[in-house]
Amino acid sequence: MPFIDELMKYGSCSIVGMEKNTGKTECLNYVLRRLPLDRIKVAVSSIGIDGETTDQVTHTAKPEIMLRESMYFATSEKHYLMRKVLSELLEVGNESTSLGYVVTAKALSNGKVLLSGPSSGSGLKRWMDSMKKYDVDLIIVDGALSRMSLASPAISESMILSTGAALSANIMNLVQKTAFMVEMINLDRTSDDNVLRFNDIMTGVWAVDDEGRLRDMHAASSLSPEFDTGDMQHCRTLFVSGALTDAFLNRLRRNMVFKGVELVVRDFTKIFVSPLTYRMFTGGGNRLCVMQKSKLIAVTVNPTSPNGIVLDSEKLCDKLSEAINLPVYDLKKNLCN
Amino acid sequence: MQLRQLTDIPCGLRFMIDDLEIHSGYARRLLLDSEMCKDRNVLEHEYSVLSAFYDAVSSSENRISVDTLMFKLCNLKDLAGTLRSLRNKSVLNEIELFEVKYLAILSAEIRSVMRELHLDEYVHIPDLAEVVSLLDPDGLRIASFYIYDSYSDRLKYLRGIMKNSETVDEDVFNEIAEIEDEIRGHLSASLQQYTDALHDAQKALAIIDLNIAKARQMTKMGLCFPSVEDDKTWYEGMFNPEVKAILNKNNKDYQAVDICLGKMPTIITGANMGGKTVVIKTLALCQFLFQFAMGIPSKRAGIMLQNDVFCCFTDEQSVEKGLSSFAAEMHNIDAIIKASRKESRFLALVDEPARTTNPTEGTALVSALVKLLQDKDLSLVIVTHYNIKTFNSRCLRVTGFENGKMNYRLVEAKEGDVPHEALNIAEALGVDEEWIADAKMLLDDEYNGNTINKI
Repeated sequence: MPFIDELMKYGSCSIVGMEKNTGKTECLNYVLRRLPLDRIKVAVSSIGIDGETTDQVTHTAKPEIMLRESMYFATSEKHYLMRKVLSELLEVGNESTSLGYVVTAKALSNGKVLLSGPSSGSGLKRWMDSMKKYDVDLIIVDGALSRMSLASPAISESMILSTGAALSANIMNLVQKTAFMVEMINLDRTSDDNVLRFNDIMTGVWAVDDEGRLRDMHAASSLSPEFDTGDMQHCRTLFVSGALTDAFLNRLRRNMVFKGVELVVRDFTKIFVSPLTYRMFTGGGNRLCVMQKSKLIAVTVNPTSPNGIVLDSEKLCDKLSEAINLPVYDLKKNLCN
Repeated sequence: MQLRQLTDIPCGLRFMIDDLEIHSGYARRLLLDSEMCKDRNVLEHEYSVLSAFYDAVSSSENRISVDTLMFKLCNLKDLAGTLRSLRNKSVLNEIELFEVKYLAILSAEIRSVMRELHLDEYVHIPDLAEVVSLLDPDGLRIASFYIYDSYSDRLKYLRGIMKNSETVDEDVFNEIAEIEDEIRGHLSASLQQYTDALHDAQKALAIIDLNIAKARQMTKMGLCFPSVEDDKTWYEGMFNPEVKAILNKNNKDYQAVDICLGKMPTIITGANMGGKTVVIKTLALCQFLFQFAMGIPSKRAGIMLQNDVFCCFTDEQSVEKGLSSFAAEMHNIDAIIKASRKESRFLALVDEPARTTNPTEGTALVSALVKLLQDKDLSLVIVTHYNIKTFNSRCLRVTGFENGKMNYRLVEAKEGDVPHEALNIAEALGVDEEWIADAKMLLDDEYNGNTINKI
């Protein structure tokens, strides 16, 4: 059974789609169906609304989340009352969403549910921590459109990336975009010294000199148009506390002060740079590293897109697998086989 | 007057309220919505309850029970919506039924801890055992809920079919839903008679939460229980917790003061930086804390109940209303005078009235204010720098600089005993020497009968 054993090595996993309709929910159901519930306790939630019967944006059919007996789940009050599963209500939380408070329940039969858990990263983290009291071994979180941040290693230990024809109708383009994302997820972790050094810094852009001292570059973030580089030529490590942008990398390159530096960001969700800029940055002998890394367990593809495009599944899987050096699964096809 | 309308008065009340470790949002709302107490019996009862909690909280052997209580109180929710549904005789949904059951079980748990602490006679929590048994037919006593199989044999049978079949049979599913609806209807009808009890239980738990928070604040800050007085208010070792916290943070000590207010006006004078404003604000703070039955920041205190409290503090500006500071102040004082003609027994605290205008008219305004209010039924405290006519009032003065250090103690003063220490203090602050020297020269000239125009 592909990747389920790998998945069970971690306490939490988020399923993240590169675009809507890339088969996230399909992937979630695939995983849920295969988890050995006789051995482990499992909880599921989603960030924001998920598991709608029809897609809220494109109005195409969406698979429902299929729960199995003994699974814990979080959803909003409204969706809890609409569920098609026998379940025992355990908690009504303080976390409010547009659909009411988030409730936690345990499935007493197999059945379907609409998931709409805590809608913020911190709320989700609190919910995940609260599941400790039920001795849950594995928490699976379903992501939503453009909520990449919940895949942050600060929230979940491992992740599954879903991609597909909805992202691009051109196989080459799709492979490139996905491969770049995978490359960012798999960036090297910086040294432990650097992690300790930067861990409590919440704002600004910083450099580290030869003696390991932190130097403030006097920029509020990588979005600031100017930063201070006076007598910092010898600094070999830079740290950007917030988002990393194209403009910053370009400025850094043009500035010519820094050569062969290690640029550190918190995790891959903070990186907002295009492949081109990134290549030019690394081409100059520089490196990009992260402080926290989550384990990418698998990449799944959905070769069909809501506007009717169907790509050749086998070719797509092969090309992608070759580019990212990881197994790639078309779950729909796997189900049929 | 509700507490939430008073927290913006700059006397440190918000600091005290924010400092309370209240565990549930419902209790905090109950506190902020509560009315200022004006009834002696009610207040004495509230203080007796607080005193019992204080004893329980300060005894080290109760630590575990008190911690348990606080931990459980974190789970108190506001059931207003559910109780409204019950009152309107609507059918509760599963989440609402869960909340009712949760409250019933929580109340029972807290009841038993309260009994352990011998506090059960002070806060009455209604017995909701019948609510629990309605919603817990299997006697599991766990705070979780679903429409249990034991409510209906038919339901149990149908659920069995559902569980054992691979596909979902719509007919079975619909019948299950119908039976569940019916059961919820029955449960809601049976719960209606407990609506008031549920409401009372919820309120009782919030009151426990508040009393623990108040009692813990008292031990933490060293606050005292006041006696309720009839004709005077007195404090021994009064302090302002907010100012004290700031001073302690900078490794400085706070000098507590003694003060006694009778029915005649009290006029406080003293050097700049002598802590007069802190005194008058703390008087306001203590009066509010007293009438909301909280601990008083003083070593000992006896306080008179007031029907209202008027604060007129200098940093209160009505820029939004388009009034200058002088106009805002005049309006505030005018309100006090108007009230003195209608109301009785209230406290009026006025910090440096008319300080923004010229001293000649200012002195006249303040003197006239004292004359006007001296015989009225109110406790008036005025802080001023002006050398006013004091009529039938008591004058207090901040002791002032002694051996290079400020002594904040209040002492009795005579009329005209207004200290002239502004120049000395400005000098001590290290401001420009030439400025001070010129000011001294001008002052000497004036005493010698010369006019300022000469230089």
